[in-house]
Amino acid sequence: MSDAAKEAFDALTETVGRVTVDDPKMQAENVDVFYAEKQAIYDVTLDVAKNEVVAMIGPSGCGKSTFLRCLNRMNDTIPSCKVSGNITLEGESLYSSAMDPVMLRARVGMVFQKPNPFAKSIYDNVAYGPKIHGLANNRAELDDIVESSLHRAGLFDEVKDRLNAPGTSLSGGQQQRLCIARTIAVSPEVILMDEPCSALDPIATARIEELIDELRENYAIAIVTHSMQQAARVSQRTAYFHLGKLVEVGETKTIFTNPSHELTENYITGRFG
Amino acid sequence: MDKLHLDQHISQQFNQELEDIRNRVLAMGGLVEQQVTNGLTALLENDGDLAEQVSRSDYEVNAMEVEIDEECIQVLARRAPTASDLRLIVAVIKAITDLERIGDEAEKLGRFAAELSSSNRTLEYRKELRHLGGLVRSMLHDSLDAFARLDADAALTIAQRDEDVNAEYENLTRLLTTHLVEDPRRVTEILKITWCARALERIGDHSVNICEYVVYLVKGRDIRHTNIASDHSSTDNNDETS
Amino acid sequence: MSDETTQRVRATLKKRYLKEKLFRGFGITAIAASLGFLVILLGSIIYKGMPAFQATYLKVDITLNEDTLGVGGTVSDAEMQGANFSGAIKSAMRDRFPDVKKRKAKKNLYALVSSGAEYALAEYMINNREQFGQTVSLWLLADDEADALIKRNKDLSKPIRRGEFKNDSSALVTRLNKDQLGWLQSFKDAGDTDVRISSTFFTNGNSREPEQAGIRAALVGSAYTLLITFALSFPIAVAAAIYLEEFAPQNRWTDLVEVNINNLAAVPSIVFGLLGLAVFINYLQLPRSAPVVGGVVLSLMTLPTIIISSRAALKAVPPSIREAARGLGASPVQVVTHHVLPLAMPGILTGTIIGLAQALGETAPLLMIGMVAFIVDIPGSVTDPSTVLPVQVFLWADAPERAFTERTSAAIMVLLAFLIVMNLAAVLLRKKFERRW
Repeated sequence: MSDAAKEAFDALTETVGRVTVDDPKMQAENVDVFYAEKQAIYDVTLDVAKNEVVAMIGPSGCGKSTFLRCLNRMNDTIPSCKVSGNITLEGESLYSSAMDPVMLRARVGMVFQKPNPFAKSIYDNVAYGPKIHGLANNRAELDDIVESSLHRAGLFDEVKDRLNAPGTSLSGGQQQRLCIARTIAVSPEVILMDEPCSALDPIATARIEELIDELRENYAIAIVTHSMQQAARVSQRTAYFHLGKLVEVGETKTIFTNPSHELTENYITGRFG
Repeated sequence: MDKLHLDQHISQQFNQELEDIRNRVLAMGGLVEQQVTNGLTALLENDGDLAEQVSRSDYEVNAMEVEIDEECIQVLARRAPTASDLRLIVAVIKAITDLERIGDEAEKLGRFAAELSSSNRTLEYRKELRHLGGLVRSMLHDSLDAFARLDADAALTIAQRDEDVNAEYENLTRLLTTHLVEDPRRVTEILKITWCARALERIGDHSVNICEYVVYLVKGRDIRHTNIASDHSSTDNNDETS
Repeated sequence: MSDETTQRVRATLKKRYLKEKLFRGFGITAIAASLGFLVILLGSIIYKGMPAFQATYLKVDITLNEDTLGVGGTVSDAEMQGANFSGAIKSAMRDRFPDVKKRKAKKNLYALVSSGAEYALAEYMINNREQFGQTVSLWLLADDEADALIKRNKDLSKPIRRGEFKNDSSALVTRLNKDQLGWLQSFKDAGDTDVRISSTFFTNGNSREPEQAGIRAALVGSAYTLLITFALSFPIAVAAAIYLEEFAPQNRWTDLVEVNINNLAAVPSIVFGLLGLAVFINYLQLPRSAPVVGGVVLSLMTLPTIIISSRAALKAVPPSIREAARGLGASPVQVVTHHVLPLAMPGILTGTIIGLAQALGETAPLLMIGMVAFIVDIPGSVTDPSTVLPVQVFLWADAPERAFTERTSAAIMVLLAFLIVMNLAAVLLRKKFERRW
């Protein structure tokens, strides 16, 4: 980090730009995350609005993935991970005793970096979530859910003749769309995506990005990405994380033409910082 | 963020490309400025040779515009610049268009100077252009300087000087109209001088555009077609908050 | 690359390729050597063991009447069982060789027929009552020494390797004497000897007489023992592995448990035998020599192996699968049972089979709990006294009769076959569980 950038970072006490939105789906307030003694996230406050794609960008180890995983308590299984601050979904606190993590993850779905279909058929991959949550009363209902989920993930036409083929027989992009179909089959309210295209080729990436744009109609989406171009393409708002701090939040169109903070500028233009 | 830090990209190649574009623009600006100066001198000093030279060397400016354009397109396609880099490229693409137009106007000055050089009689009328020419030249010079130094505040001040240029142009038009009435035999010459005044006024406008691009490049704000004065103050406020 | 670099690289190329060739050569030699040893071992075992699946029979005309048997033709089966079949056989042998008069010579003559022949005869009589009072030609099982000579088709006219022929390699190695060889030759000349494929080896329990000794008791004992071992160790080990791998918190206690499990895998098996003796037999008063105790002891020994391999298999399941399931809202137990366990199952099964194979070949701990007993009866349940295949091999290898050599080799063959069957079962199970994606 250059001296100037280091100074700017040390001086940073408050996120630049507006962190709240008018119609929030999820709200994170003053979130700190510790891994044992090491603090991974410093006082992050950020809203996720309804029908919005918010992109989180930043260099490796900046805490964006950690923050994303706090939004559906995926960090629970790491015993040394402590989350403080308040995160709410529709006003309900995520980390209160009243919130069941299993229930929460049905409402806040997650798509991962590497396509990770289960070692099951395409059908069973999508049907798994509805099955364990008892969302379908009978086979016909389950069929409907599977079909509509695959449709919404833009995969149905490609796989309708081989629903019983293994999920892993699909191409990487198809697998990732299968994972998205699997996630939306549970009818979540929010979808978290952790670098969903990092393992895909540009065409598959374009398909997923198109899909994300369509999904925005019905879901709130938070996406972590290493590709700034992707953030620029799919998101309405962009949040820039640096060394655990949320440096800047703003409308994507502003962030990518005229960011306010020097660190954001340095990062998105590929300067030393 | 008054500096662009063009040398701080992780990609050295990218640094060089941007630096090269900037230098070429400044060189083009210098050339255009020289053309304007020469055109004006030829007009005022009744120097036919210089006038010929000015009217024939516009192709250099045009070639530079094409080259810089090509370079900018390459950067856009291959580097996908963002933020200040993006603004620099956009500002450059726009600025060179204006510079090329200024070059055209300078060529016009040269052409009229060549045509007028055959008659010494209009020299006294042409002297009327001196003041306007001085205003415009210094404006062009200062705006290119602001571009080189990325000085948005200076650019805003320079842009405001266009009002003086316009006022001087108004005066000059009125004066030339009077001459026209008084000396109807010189209609053609006086009309040509009016067109020269018009060209100088256009150069002033293009200089204002360049100033606007400087502001856009540095502040990230588009101040075209707005009240510059009020915008100036609000930009300052914005500066303090960010 | 500059010219100089190219040249330098070229200079080393030859050496590098030579090294590679050498390395490959060593590898192939090693494999060939081990294959050779394996072939020699298996070959010798099969060569030695094959005769155990054959038995020699002698054809003797036996008179079955009240004089010879000492009972009437209409007595009950039980009484018939107790009749003097031994006498009938002896008189038949006497009839065949009327010249034999001396008491000692007669005894030698009778010894040509197996002592078990009378039981076969009794069974024949009970099943064929209408032949009472008749003289019938019957094939009687030959004694082990006669059996060995006939089976291998030895030249009976050769001298016996004893006394002056001590160093004659072509002389016969047998405990029979000259007379017995002569009688045997006469049987052979009359075409009254027959070498048949015999199932005796698989149907009988152990016996003092090698020609009657069989593997069945040990086989059934091994099966019972392994059943107990599997039933105990598999679920316990898998449950332990799942808990340790998926649920247990990472702290000093789990580390301690892990270290102990690893150490247990290295404990000499005889220690487990001592433990079994002390705890299960002396303290809990469980029956001695029983597969149930053997199974428990062997599962103690097998547990660490299965736990370690199961943990490795669970660890090998990609974390992304767990994340995917958790991300969909599966509870921790659902994550394990629906996704992790099915994917780890092939690995777990492999570990289990390795553990069970180890248990199958184990002798030492079973000696400690008395499974080394002489078992004639086929065990009917897991609490009956029994022995196991490796112990049987051990016992026979120790027996003085030469005919037990072939039984030993045959028992080893059965043990190997048992292992192959187990491995086959494992492969089939793997195929069934393993998802081909």
